[in-house]
Amino acid sequence: MYCNKLPDKPDDRKKIWDKVDNMARANSLWVTAYGTGCGAIELRPLHTSRFDMERFGIAMRPTPRQADVLIISGYLAVKTLKRVIRVYEQIQDPKYILALGSCTINGGMYYDSYNTLNILDRYLPVDVYVNGCMPRPEAIIDGFSLLMSKIKAGKADGWKHYMENLEYYRENQKKVIHNWDLPDYNW
Amino acid sequence: MDKNLQRIISESSFESDTIREDEGYLHVRVSRVHVLELLLSAKQRFDMETLQLISVVDRIEDAVFQLTWILEDSGGTSVFMISADYPRENCTVPTIGDIWPTAILFERELHEMYGIDFPGNPRQNEDFLLEDWRELPPMRRDFDTLEYSLRTYGERRKRTHTDPREYIADSIDEWDTPVPMKDFER
Ligand code: SF4
Repeated sequence: MYCNKLPDKPDDRKKIWDKVDNMARANSLWVTAYGTGCGAIELRPLHTSRFDMERFGIAMRPTPRQADVLIISGYLAVKTLKRVIRVYEQIQDPKYILALGSCTINGGMYYDSYNTLNILDRYLPVDVYVNGCMPRPEAIIDGFSLLMSKIKAGKADGWKHYMENLEYYRENQKKVIHNWDLPDYNW
Repeated sequence: MDKNLQRIISESSFESDTIREDEGYLHVRVSRVHVLELLLSAKQRFDMETLQLISVVDRIEDAVFQLTWILEDSGGTSVFMISADYPRENCTVPTIGDIWPTAILFERELHEMYGIDFPGNPRQNEDFLLEDWRELPPMRRDFDTLEYSLRTYGERRKRTHTDPREYIADSIDEWDTPVPMKDFER
């Protein structure tokens, strides 16, 4: 059983406490523990003692419901895209996507593969790309700090973009996922 | 080469070419009509208990798929490989799932990746790795992966300048989203 209602369009009015909200959001980024592609390997040193991302308030969460950042850590196969869509749509707003590696930007070294996507932002709204193959933990930290300043400035609005242009994203997603057996929106 | 391996071919009633032999290792090529018989006798009479793998080479120049069955004996000391050529068009190969149940899985993979038909394999039409694949099986050499990738997943516009500053300034508004997401400066 699931809810078939589509999400409402996001409320664009500025609120007085937005600044405070954004400050709080930027300083406690919780990441869904989900890895695709080779890149998830670099997240291990990042969240353990060597690079220790908890000093920036970034922590791993076991389920999407508790998280607000989704890291696409490398090439995304069509089969994985379907699961990622499920995970992304289950995350509560506001939510952000950090994409790592050349594979998410232009296909990287899998540009001619028959089952990996070449351009991630056609399927999901990416807030920050970190390039490299594979980006080092320092680069990922840099990506996170860019994401934080983006959130503080109130400009990390990929999730709003996704809701406003849901048809566009759905159309692209359905072009590659032929057996679409998901609900209209995965609450 | 040990005696056991030697006996498998010397006691068979048909021709076989030896491709390579070595200590505890024998690789032969036989005509495809004799494959089942040889596999069966290797298992039942010569202790070749384990099927390690069924592998395929797509020899498109000769219009054949070369299938190789790799067997190992129960002590793990000798390896016996049998190769045979099958025509590429509507390739049909008898299943050996009833001799080695692992073969059901291997054959399912070959069916998905090369389109080889194994009549009698109960699970060959289930998805193995791909979900709902509708093109030519992707591992065949006549399948053009680059063309498929560009047609299906598109290509990011390539840079036209080599100066990074110009390039970035130029491409900032050209994301593939309908309403470009705002650029941001720290
Ligand atoms: S960018 Fe490189 S490291 Fe990252 S997923 Fe692609 S191939 Fe792997």
